Amino acid sequence: MEKVPVKTNRAGEAAPGASPSKRTRGSRMARSQLRTAVIFLAPAVLAIALLRLLPFGEAVWDTLFKSEGFGVLAEEKFAGLENYVTLFTDVSFLQTLGRTVVFNLIINPLQIALAMAVSVLMTRKMFGRGLWRTAVFLPSTIPLVGSSVAWGIALRPDGPVNALLGLFGIGSQPFFTSSHQALASIILVASWIGIGHWMIFLIGGLNSVNQELYEAASIDGANGWRTFWSLTVPLMRRPLLFVLVADTVANFVLFVPMQMLTNGGPENSTTVLMFDVYQRTYTFSEPHIGAAATVVLTVIMIIIVSIQFRLLGERDK
Amino acid sequence: MTVLLTILAVAVSVLFVLPAVWMLFGSLAPGNSVISNVSPLSWHTLIPRKWTLSNYRELFGALGFLRPMFNSLFVTFASVAIGLALSAPAAYALAVVRFRGREVIFSLLVIGFMIPFEAIAIPLAHVFTDWNLDNTYVALILPGIGNGLAIFNMRQSFLGVPASLREAAVIDGASDFRILSRIYIPLNGTTMINSGLLIFMGQWTAYLWPLLIVSSDSKQIAAVALARTYTSSLFDFGQLFAAALVISIVPAVVLFVLQRHFSISIATSGER
Repeated sequence: MEKVPVKTNRAGEAAPGASPSKRTRGSRMARSQLRTAVIFLAPAVLAIALLRLLPFGEAVWDTLFKSEGFGVLAEEKFAGLENYVTLFTDVSFLQTLGRTVVFNLIINPLQIALAMAVSVLMTRKMFGRGLWRTAVFLPSTIPLVGSSVAWGIALRPDGPVNALLGLFGIGSQPFFTSSHQALASIILVASWIGIGHWMIFLIGGLNSVNQELYEAASIDGANGWRTFWSLTVPLMRRPLLFVLVADTVANFVLFVPMQMLTNGGPENSTTVLMFDVYQRTYTFSEPHIGAAATVVLTVIMIIIVSIQFRLLGERDK
Repeated sequence: MTVLLTILAVAVSVLFVLPAVWMLFGSLAPGNSVISNVSPLSWHTLIPRKWTLSNYRELFGALGFLRPMFNSLFVTFASVAIGLALSAPAAYALAVVRFRGREVIFSLLVIGFMIPFEAIAIPLAHVFTDWNLDNTYVALILPGIGNGLAIFNMRQSFLGVPASLREAAVIDGASDFRILSRIYIPLNGTTMINSGLLIFMGQWTAYLWPLLIVSSDSKQIAAVALARTYTSSLFDFGQLFAAALVISIVPAVVLFVLQRHFSISIATSGER
């Protein structure tokens, strides 16, 4: 190849008005670009096809059949949309859907509000700020299994939390064994490690806010609360929206504490959609109904992620 | 004001750190004394009367926790290496190579990889079992290698490299592979580390997938081994805390070693 710079536009094609020989060369370049693209993208595209599209297709296909008979004599029969009808006329599934939505409407705003409050605090001027920040961040390095073990033991009837409550004259609480407290206890398990995680994103956002705007606001006599709502929150719109969607996605598939600590109970109070899919497939051995629930879950996730993608896409401009 | 804010910050820090400190001390106290010292409530509820390393000895001795720890480390680091090797060329192609349908491929990859893996883990487990991939390291590693956020971050970062650098290299006869490995990756070190961390944390905290795909103890990873110990009726609190602490310390150490390079760019990139 000659070492002569060719004036090309960004598409790698010859610029308009180029001589015919240059145009041929442009198309040759476009071909080589395409080859590079295919080689470089093939592993990632293959991974997405194998790890996401194929199982989703498999799940959709599974929902169209049902097993008739028992054990080895069971026969796979085409069932059309019967599994979906079964699922959506099942009161317990509708309750699960409702519970999942309520759970997310509580845990996500709660985690983000607390992460935001901690972030604002940890970006103020104080002694040893880095140390306190690290302290809040520290639990977020603990895997959910670790958090579940710690809180599972801490919230036992004979555990330290009940001992502390006793100090204030509050009687022993059942936590994971009460249908009224189990889901709230799971929120605690997830939030102990979640708040520090989201805090890091929000501190990043707060640090990139122009400090001069705050000076201007304080000259105008705006108080702290007013500055927060009319300056900080609008300026933090993007990081806040990102954290909201990412947090929602994470909590929609929350599974570890339900499987380890409550097994969906007591009285189904912690059976959310993700755990329901698992339970229907493995505990109740209803793979076809489980697949239908998987499809419902995946479709909800695709909707949420598309919103997130739009949000992230905005930053391209 | 500074003093008041500091006091508030200390109070918040204590709330977050106290459970972790309790776990640490509990792992250094013999057997079930972490619960038997709860009442009456005293300093000894938190601080052991007798210090011991016996829980850790038991954990890596009789409980055989070394094997799942090794499995977790192997699976995680293999996923990071393969994941970066897969994501970097994809991000490069999406950032600098011009071809038709690029936006479509980009959307497909990022949306596809951002759908939480847990949502389709159960049908994928059926597929992998049909292919006799259950109880293999391959099955444990594969789902960790694709990370939409890693590809997205790398692409954003690669877009910031001046196009003139690549043009000059092309004129000098460098291949795209060489341009990627010699120019784009070294220039975006922080992004590469962040992307590696995303894959690392995803695999280290994986639970549902190994639960579904691995049944043999020899291939099991640490998080599932710990959960199994917890749900068995014959557990020992001290050993549980030791195990929980060991699986938590690995990501903590990795994050603190890489802290200098560690910056979350996703929520703020494009702001500047």
